[in-house]
Amino acid sequence: MNDDAKQTGLALKGIRVLDFTWIHAGPSATRILSDQGAEVIKVESNNALSVVGGPASATARGLGQRHNWNAGKLSISLNMKTPQGIDIAKRLVAVSDVVAENFSGRVMPSWGLDYHSIRPINPGIIMLSMSGLGRTGPWKDRVSYGQTLQAWSGFTELTGFPDTDPSGPASAYSDAVGGMAGAQAVLLALIHRSRTGRGQWLDVSQFESLSSLLETLVLDMSVNRSAAVSTRTGNRLPHGGGAPHGAYRCQGDDRWVAISVFTDEEWRAFVGALGDPQWADDPRFASGDARERNADALDACVETWTVERTAEEAMTLLQAAGIAAGVVQSGADLSRDPQLKERAFFRRVPDHQGEVRIIESAPYKLSRTPGTVTRGAPAFAADMTYVLRELLGMSDDEVEDCAIAGAFD
Amino acid sequence: MTARSEQSDMRPALPLSGYRVVDLAGPMGVYCGKLMADMGADVIKVEPPGGDPMREIGPFIDGQSGPGRSLYWLHFNTNKRSVTLDMRTPAGAATLRKLALASDVVLETRPPGHMDSLGLGYESLAAESPELVYASITPFGQTGPYRDFKASDLVGLAMGGYMYVTGWPDTPPTRLWGSQAYHTASNRAYVAILLSLYHRMATGEGQYIDVSMQEAVAATTEHVNTTFNYTGESAVRCGFRHGGQFVATWKCKDGYASITTNTRKAWDDLRAWMDRDGMAGDLMDETYNDHFVLRGEHSAHIEELIQAWALRHTRQEITDFGQSNHHPWGPATTADEILENEQLWGRGYLTTVESADGGPSMVYPGDPYRLTEFSQPMQRTAPVPGEHNAEVLGSILGLAPDEIGRISG
Repeated sequence: MNDDAKQTGLALKGIRVLDFTWIHAGPSATRILSDQGAEVIKVESNNALSVVGGPASATARGLGQRHNWNAGKLSISLNMKTPQGIDIAKRLVAVSDVVAENFSGRVMPSWGLDYHSIRPINPGIIMLSMSGLGRTGPWKDRVSYGQTLQAWSGFTELTGFPDTDPSGPASAYSDAVGGMAGAQAVLLALIHRSRTGRGQWLDVSQFESLSSLLETLVLDMSVNRSAAVSTRTGNRLPHGGGAPHGAYRCQGDDRWVAISVFTDEEWRAFVGALGDPQWADDPRFASGDARERNADALDACVETWTVERTAEEAMTLLQAAGIAAGVVQSGADLSRDPQLKERAFFRRVPDHQGEVRIIESAPYKLSRTPGTVTRGAPAFAADMTYVLRELLGMSDDEVEDCAIAGAFD
Repeated sequence: MTARSEQSDMRPALPLSGYRVVDLAGPMGVYCGKLMADMGADVIKVEPPGGDPMREIGPFIDGQSGPGRSLYWLHFNTNKRSVTLDMRTPAGAATLRKLALASDVVLETRPPGHMDSLGLGYESLAAESPELVYASITPFGQTGPYRDFKASDLVGLAMGGYMYVTGWPDTPPTRLWGSQAYHTASNRAYVAILLSLYHRMATGEGQYIDVSMQEAVAATTEHVNTTFNYTGESAVRCGFRHGGQFVATWKCKDGYASITTNTRKAWDDLRAWMDRDGMAGDLMDETYNDHFVLRGEHSAHIEELIQAWALRHTRQEITDFGQSNHHPWGPATTADEILENEQLWGRGYLTTVESADGGPSMVYPGDPYRLTEFSQPMQRTAPVPGEHNAEVLGSILGLAPDEIGRISG
């Protein structure tokens, strides 16, 4: 029994992560670990590429991402272009449980920090390597951003309406998916290490993580080929999706309510909630199949009802009748959503200067290990003393020599 | 019970070998069960006599519904076992209770309170088996003013904030292709389950996991919350032009291609290519030297020039040029091209599985990450209803054949 874990209510108390990750998928994976008490040491450098969420996040939005992805972590500055910087990194590997990185494939080997090089330093080490396309295979050296992977996987072509350019998922769904996959892989490896004492290398291809969400498409293409439904269907579902199923315009500027009706029972409740309008008796809407076939006409009728109401009213009236309906919420809506408020989804925590920052909490509630978000992202290089002196036991002289050699630049 | 797996001296065949899961989930959690089954857990899908309604979800082999023909079922239930019982009857509920008590994890997606009403809620099971990990996925969570609200995948995307920002300024808010709100809830639930199993290894204690699909989606949008919380503005729809023209996809000669100009060099290479084609307009002017110009005041002008130029080139030309210069450029793949992807085949992500019973061979997708300690061949295709009644109810619960017949219908 580990009394630490029992008393703290943190599943990963005592786990140390040496975190070289630098953009979205990477830091969002280690943030999941940090929330549950892992000590995540973020290795940064002012010499590194300036990216959103990095030390030089100057814009308001960049600052938000820095805090959201790095809440609760520690920060040190290491210049990996110096031998001293590399030496300190290797000493940190020796006292860590997990090393995480999402560079392109050549970076860690160039520092002598690829899995096969660090394993002799710490045989039980778990190394998470997250990359766009994986570290093996014919495309291993190709480079990608989240939007590249969304395009490459098929998500861009498939998301959107049939009669307009595809839109793809907004922003970088692929990075968020990669972050979840990275955290899952680390947790599986920690379980395996507890059972066997063995560490391992985790080769996460975000392309594969994203492709795993293509559902039945691979099977469908392999058995049905050209007959497979493989094009954009807007807000309608391609396989017996029910109708109405979509976003309907409401009162106000760019206000919408999402509604989905699948069964005949739901249809009757839906029509009742609308006050039995005359158009509901149209034979074109008499059965589920008919409603799907005539979805354009049906959508136009439904919208005559929604445009007369606010999105909130429409949601409330339809939910009272047991219909799946919800406001298409913007950032502003989410910030005042009563459900998210009641469940404390947004946490207000101080950053290193005592300024209050808004951080998303983990989207699950665990009864014994609720996890914690108690502070924002660390200030750049805020934890040099703890890491160098306490963790590595370096002397004043040693630290000073390294500083002179530029190891902390 | 439990900790069977944790006490074994044998090296596990897969990371979750030895863990038993009772899978009661519908579409909101079906992917979570698959993730566990594919990692080696003994996932027992509990179906009503006659089979789970998800067996009737398309697409189907040759477009024809019927037993064993749902590709949805075949995809999401790989490596699971199936037992049939009616949990609404006292005998069925009692059997399910015994099965849950002999398992490590229960996964369910019923409305809040429903499992309690059947005597199968967490409190009741944990009283007998405190080691049990019990995960509930619901649209809005177990608490709060919306806890009894209904939701579909569409409503999950809407209420979580992903839909408002996906699509073009002149289209309605747009769903992501597939059932990504459901799968995001599943992905988050899986993280929470793994955290709980790891915590249990240290402490022996199980716990209850409350996953809200709305929160799962809200925590997966990269920029919706950070933009509003740090700038006071709601992010809006911008199609596939994320970050202005900086991270963007363009219509080209034979489809769409992603051209991210994330560095000065990528931008210089792009405009030099346009210039060689005589289509750079005034972009070689030093006004446009900084690649951040792509999201500045000249963005509309630049967009027009890039778009006109991109139409002259194929996806392959753009990809080859970009990748040979280490820029994250790539094609938007269409669905019918996915099975030709040499990287997915080259890494063994795609596998052809021959049918055991004369049906067609099919291509299956692999796992979202690669754990190098394990090779991960598919163990078993999705089960037929009650395929493992005798195995599971006989061997695990010690029921006699006539009892099994009575309970399983």
